[in-house]
Amino acid sequence: MTSVKDPVTNKPPVWKISAWRSMYPGMWSWVLQRLSALALIVLFPIHVMNPYIDSVRITMLLLVVWHAMHGIKVILTDFGFPDRHQRKLLWVLCVVGVAAFFWLAFMHKEYWRFMA
Amino acid sequence: MNEEAQITEGTPETGTQEESVPKKEEQEEKAEKRPAVRVRIRRGGAAGDPEERFDAFQVETGPRMTVLDALVAVQSAQEPTLSFRYSCRVGMCGTCALKVNGRPAWACRTRLEGLGDEITLEPLTNFPVLSDLAVDMSPFFEKMKRARGWLEPTGAAEKAPALIAPNSRERKRIEPHIECITCGICYASCSIVGHDSDYLGPAALNRAYTLVNDSRDALGPERLLEVCTEDGAWRCHSQYNCTESCPKGISPTGAIKGLKRRAVSGGVRRFAASIFRGRAPGA
Repeated sequence: MTSVKDPVTNKPPVWKISAWRSMYPGMWSWVLQRLSALALIVLFPIHVMNPYIDSVRITMLLLVVWHAMHGIKVILTDFGFPDRHQRKLLWVLCVVGVAAFFWLAFMHKEYWRFMA
Repeated sequence: MNEEAQITEGTPETGTQEESVPKKEEQEEKAEKRPAVRVRIRRGGAAGDPEERFDAFQVETGPRMTVLDALVAVQSAQEPTLSFRYSCRVGMCGTCALKVNGRPAWACRTRLEGLGDEITLEPLTNFPVLSDLAVDMSPFFEKMKRARGWLEPTGAAEKAPALIAPNSRERKRIEPHIECITCGICYASCSIVGHDSDYLGPAALNRAYTLVNDSRDALGPERLLEVCTEDGAWRCHSQYNCTESCPKGISPTGAIKGLKRRAVSGGVRRFAASIFRGRAPGA
């Protein structure tokens, strides 16, 4: 295989808005999943050291739910979910994610100090 | 289909009474309804050229005018040195692809209506720029070659024509992916191509998917192994930018997922077979 190296392409650098203007919902979902993963790496040790910080717990729950929803989307489309409905799937999973977040957050009120 | 229907809807029917009666008011109204738009066009040679800049032109718009019409108007009346590429003007060849307000699109099928008073035109991302809006497509076609984007016939066709029923599984798999006209829009919208210049890209992998599924093709598993590499199908991150931006409504992401599924199922089958034979997998 020959390697195609084209060093001088007109790719806009990531810090320029023009690099982000051609992004569609599917890619926003992907970017947010990556960012949620990075945030979770930071938050997880804090959570292990002190599991009773409400702000950390609620943020982690939100991030975990978001991360999982995108993961479910990728798994479903990988196993043959029709691509023409991928955007709809994304919005459905967003709604499911919000519902899951509130359900998980408020199903045991005694877990939260601010509600006790 | 929809776009065609829109065009015929807007075109005045010939032979009606209205056409034969010239109306002065209508003509005046038409003359008034010609707002000018500001078209900002990226000028200069390759990316990083010291003369790289945006030039603005005022263009009078007409009904159903496209971005390509505006470019031709600028070139013929204001800036004869403006470089851009086009060929068929009707969305058949895919030559006029560029970025309109930051998003890749065909100039000939993008109407000025709804684009705003200021339109920014840039060359396609991920390609080396030759001049102004014209890009060098060779990396794109080089990757098409790397993915061996052509049929390697089995030889059976010499004896009798291949019969592939329209409702067969094979045909149904290939059908949504054959309309590609290699305009490069998917390649320009893919962020992974920008990240990894060796990545085959959506169009080449889409082509490979149609051939992998084609029973007339002799390469079969060999082709699959060639495109399912680190710089092939496995590099895709399922961002769907190619699927969202394809003017032909093809889903290269779906094709890449199909290639991945075939590669995995083939691997699992080989693994199971090797275990039944009592050998180490891959031996």
